[in-house]
Amino acid sequence: MEGCINTEKDVDKLIIKFDTYKKQTFQTFEHLVQHIEKLKEDIQNEADFQNSKSQHTVIAQANKKLKSHGQKLSSQHKDLHSSVSRIGKTVDRNFDMECGSINMHEILPDHAHHTLFNQAICEHFYRQGSVSIAESIAKDANLQINDKWRQPFVEMNDIISGLQNKMVEPALEWCARNREQLHKEKSDLEFKLHRLKFIELIKKGPSHQHFALQYSRHFQQFAPVQCKEIQQLMGCFLFVKQGLSNSPYCDMLSDDIWAEICMDFLHDACRVTGMSVDSPLTTSFSAGCQALPALLAIKSVIEQRQCSGALSNNDELPIDIDLDACQHYHSVFACPILRQQTTVKNPPLRLVCGHVISRDALTKLVSGSKVKCPYCPVEQSPNDAKEVFF
Amino acid sequence: MSTSSAMDLKVQEYGTLKVPYEILNKRFRSAQKTIDRELHGFSGSLNEIEKSVESGASNENVMKMLDGVLEKLQSMKRKAVDAIELEEASAKLCKRRVEHLKDHASPIPSVVTQWKKTRFDRMVVDHLLRCGFYDSALKLASESNIQDLVNTDVFITAWEVEQSLERKEYETCLAWCHDNRSRLRKLKSPLEFSVHLQQFIELVRKNQRLEAVQHARKYLNTAEGVQLEEVKQAMGLLAFHHDTPVSPYKDLFSVTRWQQIKEQFRYENYRLHQLGDLSVFKVTLQAGLASLKTHQCYDDSTKSTDCPVCSPLFNQLAKPLPFAHCAQSRLICSITGKLMNEHNHPMMLPNGRVYGEKGLAQISLNGRVTCPKTNQEFNLSDAEKIYVM
Repeated sequence: MEGCINTEKDVDKLIIKFDTYKKQTFQTFEHLVQHIEKLKEDIQNEADFQNSKSQHTVIAQANKKLKSHGQKLSSQHKDLHSSVSRIGKTVDRNFDMECGSINMHEILPDHAHHTLFNQAICEHFYRQGSVSIAESIAKDANLQINDKWRQPFVEMNDIISGLQNKMVEPALEWCARNREQLHKEKSDLEFKLHRLKFIELIKKGPSHQHFALQYSRHFQQFAPVQCKEIQQLMGCFLFVKQGLSNSPYCDMLSDDIWAEICMDFLHDACRVTGMSVDSPLTTSFSAGCQALPALLAIKSVIEQRQCSGALSNNDELPIDIDLDACQHYHSVFACPILRQQTTVKNPPLRLVCGHVISRDALTKLVSGSKVKCPYCPVEQSPNDAKEVFF
Repeated sequence: MSTSSAMDLKVQEYGTLKVPYEILNKRFRSAQKTIDRELHGFSGSLNEIEKSVESGASNENVMKMLDGVLEKLQSMKRKAVDAIELEEASAKLCKRRVEHLKDHASPIPSVVTQWKKTRFDRMVVDHLLRCGFYDSALKLASESNIQDLVNTDVFITAWEVEQSLERKEYETCLAWCHDNRSRLRKLKSPLEFSVHLQQFIELVRKNQRLEAVQHARKYLNTAEGVQLEEVKQAMGLLAFHHDTPVSPYKDLFSVTRWQQIKEQFRYENYRLHQLGDLSVFKVTLQAGLASLKTHQCYDDSTKSTDCPVCSPLFNQLAKPLPFAHCAQSRLICSITGKLMNEHNHPMMLPNGRVYGEKGLAQISLNGRVTCPKTNQEFNLSDAEKIYVM
């Protein structure tokens, strides 16, 4: 942030200077023109100018003046140079030029991986709803897009753009097709869609009352789970005449519920198709934004200590990266004694007292046929320890 | 949190500011040149008046000449103002970008979220440009409305040069070299030399050997050091036919040299604009994937739909990367996806599987639970607490 502020300060200074310089330039030109006009006048006024002795000196003097005026244009511009180059220096000082120098194995070693990567970017834009960009990337990168693969994304986008225009029908139709899976996911999407449609009808006022009443039949199937919600919705009828906006139901009218339903639909659609809710490209990228500075910092430390092998030779990153809690997807157990992640060969074991350590650590702690838990005073037989699976 | 996000600016945004700065610097220098050149012309015409007065010019003549100078002043003013306005525009672009970068620390959460989205799109555009996917890059830039935040111009110019090199034409590339001559000289770039050398080779190929010699005299005589060796070797070509099997002349006649020039040009262009030769997007993604990569991502029984590294494409891509380092245990309940800790205690079922307290409560029915992994049924009361340090 400091870097931004410093750079901005320098840029602001330069912009002010440019402004001044521009004004000076206009002035200088004005002066030059005035001088020449004056000279012309002088020449005209003195009829005998051509033969006067002073002719030469007058012209020479005027020229000298004009030249020195003109020279100012150049020298004043030159003076700006320090302000210009200062910006470059500030940027150099505050930002790192080579972010690419972490020694990691290249993820794009060959053409096949390039294609995979392009495909990943293309897929991202499909799921973002930017179909035209996705298709353009597919074309530029020469990707073979399978229509069958592409279909779900296009369908999802059509439904979402429908919802954005307050049309629930395509979404409801989708729900009907995927009812079984939605049920497994305990999704209330279908109910929410009916609810929205109902609210839209109610909003239209008394004239549409009976349509709303008719529509409310759709709620029957949800009665066991959504009983309370349904009661509340039916309560709306009490206020149709006076307008819902002055009723306890006024928050139902806000457009936020439409934005919400888009998110809900996206969530459920991803679940049903077995995709992650967030685009993997976005998630990995934002994890990278957190990881990159730390990795670069540790890299410079490692290089200073001259043990550069530590970064590239290992199949593990040299440090823990602090990611947001929501970016952890798997359980990782690190043995608290050996400070190592457990593996199939060295699995985590639960001691009788409930503490978990790795098998290697347990072997090291055994004395005779007994082992004492390193965290509590319980003495036990190492054979009682039980393997756990996280 | 705010310190760490300031760090990502430091490592990712060099090009965002440095590229417009380089353009500003270039425009400053060319403006200076324009002004100096115009001034030179101006004082030249003043000198002329002086001279003609000395040789006794008539009043009318002097007046006419002065009018000429006035006219010249007008065009001078126009040129100077144009040049200054170009400089100013570059400075304002720098300002615009700094302002955008400052948004990352905005106190308004929605601004920060939008900023992050924009950053993502910016980096993708940069990546696409580097891949040569110009159409897609421009489309994305305009759809996200970030045209002034990405360095498209630099790449588009480069694209034109590269295309012409692909057609085996050197004019555009030489014009580019000329345009950036002083910077290239400072960088000790051999690009212009390479192009001239290639021109020579092409002349020999077409059997215009006399023209080739003339060309060499004109352009290749300033070579020194390694280049001198290259010139000597190339001059040897004059004695060979273009399909000679004799090395190294065979290699000199090879058409892959055009490809090399293209790559050389691309490298110099990056260097000239301080772009760095790697896509920040790719590097960031690489770091991100490594920090998310666990052994579980490569075991079908422990994959998670939400984990990016488990998704098929990224699973492949992340293969060569190192795994995340983890010195501190971090347990995630596979039922709820929530962290297991003192508020959501990890519980072990009799089969050794561990789930969070809350997850087990969620799937239990009348005091019985079915392990989601093995489908074995247990009493909820048989689950035992485990302690993870």
